[in-house]
Amino acid sequence: MSGIFWEIAKRNIRVHFLRSTLAMLGIVIGVVAIASMGILGNTLVATVSDSLSSVGDSVIVYPYSGGGGGFGGGGSSESLKITDQQLQQITRVVAPSTAIPVVSKSEHMKVGVGDEDIVATVYGVDPKYIKDLNFELASGSFNNANSGCLVGSEFAKDNNIKVGSRITMGSDGGKGSLRVSGIIKKRGMSFDISTDNAIVATQDWFENTYNRRDDYDEVVVKVRSGQDSAAVTTNIEKQLNRRDKVVSVMDSKATLASIYESFGMVTTFVTAIGGISMIVAGVSIFNIMMMSVNERIKEIGIMRSIGTQKKEVMSMFIYEAAIIGVIGSAVGGMLSIVAGYAISALMFQSTKYLLTVANAVSVGEGVGFGIVICIACGVYPAWQAANLNPIDALRHE
Amino acid sequence: MDNQPVMLFRDVTKVYPLPAGDVRALDEISFQVDRGEFISIMGPSGSGKSTLLNLMGCLDTPTSGDIYISGTRIGDMSDTELTTLRRDRIGFIFQYFNLFPLLNIIENVTFPMMLKSQKEVNPERGKEVLRAVQLDDKLFTHTPTELSGGQQQRVAVARALINNPDILLCDEPTGNLDTKTGAGIMELMTDLNRKGTTVIVVTHDPTIAEYTNRTIRIVDGRIAL
Repeated sequence: MSGIFWEIAKRNIRVHFLRSTLAMLGIVIGVVAIASMGILGNTLVATVSDSLSSVGDSVIVYPYSGGGGGFGGGGSSESLKITDQQLQQITRVVAPSTAIPVVSKSEHMKVGVGDEDIVATVYGVDPKYIKDLNFELASGSFNNANSGCLVGSEFAKDNNIKVGSRITMGSDGGKGSLRVSGIIKKRGMSFDISTDNAIVATQDWFENTYNRRDDYDEVVVKVRSGQDSAAVTTNIEKQLNRRDKVVSVMDSKATLASIYESFGMVTTFVTAIGGISMIVAGVSIFNIMMMSVNERIKEIGIMRSIGTQKKEVMSMFIYEAAIIGVIGSAVGGMLSIVAGYAISALMFQSTKYLLTVANAVSVGEGVGFGIVICIACGVYPAWQAANLNPIDALRHE
Repeated sequence: MDNQPVMLFRDVTKVYPLPAGDVRALDEISFQVDRGEFISIMGPSGSGKSTLLNLMGCLDTPTSGDIYISGTRIGDMSDTELTTLRRDRIGFIFQYFNLFPLLNIIENVTFPMMLKSQKEVNPERGKEVLRAVQLDDKLFTHTPTELSGGQQQRVAVARALINNPDILLCDEPTGNLDTKTGAGIMELMTDLNRKGTTVIVVTHDPTIAEYTNRTIRIVDGRIAL
């Protein structure tokens, strides 16, 4: 039975094609606004997540620098180090996870025979921990010799460094030279060691060159699977900060969660802004449905007088709103994917995050919201049509 | 059951409460319409004809008194029940035809049948009724606006007849037609009545009343004797 009312709804849309198309356009814009904002947020999160995921299993321990001098009984920040004794304590409390001591320094250097002075961070890491740090090589091999080093991909690219290139350390070359044994793949932003624009030498080379022994700039704890990073963090703090606060401990997993939460809020906010255009589209649908009812008052009166029930009149107008909503939202959904592609390509220079579940959900939400808004905005006009007094409706000119 | 009047009005009063004072549109009128009758209801403008038509068509309920349609009292009926009664027992014919512009002729005629059966219907029944009101087959798939006034009114008659109603209620059925076409429609009504359909025509045109067997005259909300 709904067939005839469905048919009338379709034909009425066809008769008022321009008006209906404009109403659909509003919904298309609303869906595109919501879905593309969702895609933008999701892509942002995915991009950052990709950059940070390699450090998601790390707990980083730094010397405490707050509270007037911190560990060591005062002095400059240069003197803030993690001692060998503290390293042993950390190693003990985090077992079976691995505690990796890291030393670092900003250093002047020259590449090959060139005389351009470059300043970059030099890390010193024991080669036995290199694989625990999840470095992936773009080329070359991991370095085991004291005269060798690894370099970050950005550093290598900017300075035209290849495997086998030689880097002279120190502004006057007085710190010796290192041969590049491997180039580390781009890791993005990291909480532990930011290798992209740095050099990673052996810990022995670093200690011998800078005369640093038994103290470290940070300790990176790689949490074993099955261990809880929050518990590891708590254990370190309990053990080392028992009397005074001597170290700061950062759980990268908790930090990541906090970052994701912030991005989630940003995504929700921008999607909500997109939702405003959907509300405007909804008002337009409401207006058009009210016009449709007003134009057809006499027709409604005839229908009611020859035996059409209120719910049947109501269904006719709901169908009309639903058709506009479904077509508008479907077109909007398809255009959202195009808009998402454009956003990804232009803003992130990559479309690899486009076809994800999160983006499908965003498009689905936009389409669903569009349909719901249309139907919701059709309910009151439909109710009003159904409840017209048949006598008054029949008299209407 | 067959001896039961198809329509019975007993002491029916209709009062419209207005800010300037109540208007008594109908004042304790009583009459009955038996099966197979052909009745005209006449009266001057403002006499209560339209109010009577609305009550006869179950579009309104009386302030007091009782109305029975084929033995069913309508006073206590819900809107849904009144709508069902209109759909199943009463066929409406309007002065301005009032066909649905979005539907073609067959769809217009079978519309009440679809309301009643709650499913798609066989268009053959619609064609059969359209042929009975002498509408040319080639017009069946046209839209109402493509038909003349007389043809549109024949379609309206077919639509009113499709559910085999107890009463055919006509509101000035020739009011929007020229004399010749109007006469054709009234001959069609007469023919339908001869075949057993109960027809009530509300009109102010005495020539239309001449086609009917009985005339009820309304003056100031009362039946004039």
